[in-house]
Amino acid sequence: MRSFKRRSGFDLVFALLGLILIILVVIPLFRMIVSANPEVMRSTMADGEVMSSIFLTLRAAFWATVFCAFFGVPLAYMLARRKFPGKSLVQGLVDLPVMIPHTAAGIALLMVYGRNFFLGRAFDGLGISFVGTEAGISLAMAYVSLPFLVNSARDGFALVDPKLERVARTLGASQWQSFYKVTLPLAWRPILSGGIMMWARGISEFGAVIVLAYHPMIAPVLIWERFQAYGLKYAQPVAVLLIILCLIIFAILRWLAERRREA
Amino acid sequence: MLRLEDICLKLGSFELRNVSLEIKDGEYLVLLGPTGTGKTVLLETIAGLHRPGRGKIFLKGQDFTMMRPETRHLGVVYQDYALFPHLNIYRNIAFGLRLRGESKASIKIEVDRIAGFLDIRHLLRRRITNLSGGERQRVALARALVMKPHVLLLDEPLSALDRSTRDRLQRELKRIHREIGVTIFHITHDLSEAFFLGDRLAVMKDGEIQQEGLPDEVLGRPVNRFVAGLLGIENFIPATVREHGKIEIDGLGLINSDIPVSASGGESQIDLTVPGWAVEIFPEKGRDAYLWQGKMHIRNVNHTDGHSEIELAHESGVSLRTTISRREATGLPNSLADGSEVMTGLLREGVHWVSRDDKV
Repeated sequence: MRSFKRRSGFDLVFALLGLILIILVVIPLFRMIVSANPEVMRSTMADGEVMSSIFLTLRAAFWATVFCAFFGVPLAYMLARRKFPGKSLVQGLVDLPVMIPHTAAGIALLMVYGRNFFLGRAFDGLGISFVGTEAGISLAMAYVSLPFLVNSARDGFALVDPKLERVARTLGASQWQSFYKVTLPLAWRPILSGGIMMWARGISEFGAVIVLAYHPMIAPVLIWERFQAYGLKYAQPVAVLLIILCLIIFAILRWLAERRREA
Repeated sequence: MLRLEDICLKLGSFELRNVSLEIKDGEYLVLLGPTGTGKTVLLETIAGLHRPGRGKIFLKGQDFTMMRPETRHLGVVYQDYALFPHLNIYRNIAFGLRLRGESKASIKIEVDRIAGFLDIRHLLRRRITNLSGGERQRVALARALVMKPHVLLLDEPLSALDRSTRDRLQRELKRIHREIGVTIFHITHDLSEAFFLGDRLAVMKDGEIQQEGLPDEVLGRPVNRFVAGLLGIENFIPATVREHGKIEIDGLGLINSDIPVSASGGESQIDLTVPGWAVEIFPEKGRDAYLWQGKMHIRNVNHTDGHSEIELAHESGVSLRTTISRREATGLPNSLADGSEVMTGLLREGVHWVSRDDKV
């Protein structure tokens, strides 16, 4: 890395442009957090509805991520390693949830997992309902945020030299063992990082969730409801609390994910 | 004994065509061929990593063709070593033994023994990140050898190394082969590596085996112009077989030759293959050993460390290239300056021929 003193005009211009973008991101968050009234914050933290909705949000996003990891990591591996007909179509489908409006995604989900479609009725028969339940929240979160996990895991797998797997095979490892003992330990960081991104994206999801499950209320929905019913003053502390909690959690997770790279 | 029978395989842009090869137990076979000719695909096919479209692979009489790579007991070492970056040296070498479920104590003994043999015992606790190329290659060799493979498959194992390390490891490979007695299949594009190491050579081009034999056989009698070129033969002189025992070299005239050209149906067009060492510059006339001798002019001289590359031109337009050592050069009366005239001879035992039609 070049020393700061020797920065060229090129570096200065690029750094300045980048800085403007960062400021755009930071100012609203900063303003919201510093303008929080400590008294109101304290009472918000004591508000059972707020805390339970925040925990519901974290939990639902977590299960959505675990669910997607189970199915998405194998998919990511196939996308990284194999050639198969229709591969670019599959890749496009994985990216699709990022592109469609999330309220539209919510409506699509409702049409399939609601009672008006056989799939929804079938799950209903098994005692699993997705409308107005925590399962529905997870489903909506999973649907819209799975590209983060799948794409990151795919890139991670692509970085593992296939020769390592081949050598493992010649040393007596089955395909399963070579995946488990060589590929996965080398790709876990991008997978984890994708998981963290997906979880974060799940927590912030609003559009798809509100269509499928307005209740129980996740934090983004609660913030919206308080804003609608009581105005900015009552929505803001919940938002601040959620942002602070998320920042802390992701700072810790990022740190954990980065830590062993240094070692 | 490892035997390939008629292996055909298409994989991306690579294609293997009817590859048949035999590697005897304990033999060091080198497969020589230019880059991109399908050598690695062949090696990986032997290892079971690709399934041939046609053909069979036998090891000690047993049909291996459909066996999974993990059950074949063949060791692979790649050019870029392919060490597991998440494991330290010890665990890299122990990888296969652990999979086999051996006890910790016996793994330790075996890893220790092979590490001692390859002189890397001091590295065992290190991570692979700060090893030199030569050290990495030793670790890769240890990882394969500790499994006591039936055959060791080496994919350009020396190509990524600098020259002095390469020379050292080359001798090391010879020692490994001699002392462990493991059968080795080694692929390379490097001629001197092939001659240094190979008990036997096979030459490959475009997924096809061109020639196979003892190094001297292959060098002495290349089957076509491609093999001759790959073997570093510098001079191809167009010639015509007139009648049995008589060859007319374009521009140099008719010569008597015992080159056994089967002149099927009268005259035939050939290329005489003349390696640089068979082109001699000599002080005086009169040696029987020459197929042809005459005056030539020095056109170009390039000096390398200890050698001089010389381009010679005959008045008829025929030109020859040769390399002579400094010592040989000092024995000559004339200086090797551009334009000076020297006596030149083609050594009978060095000159062979390939037919003209298999132009490459």
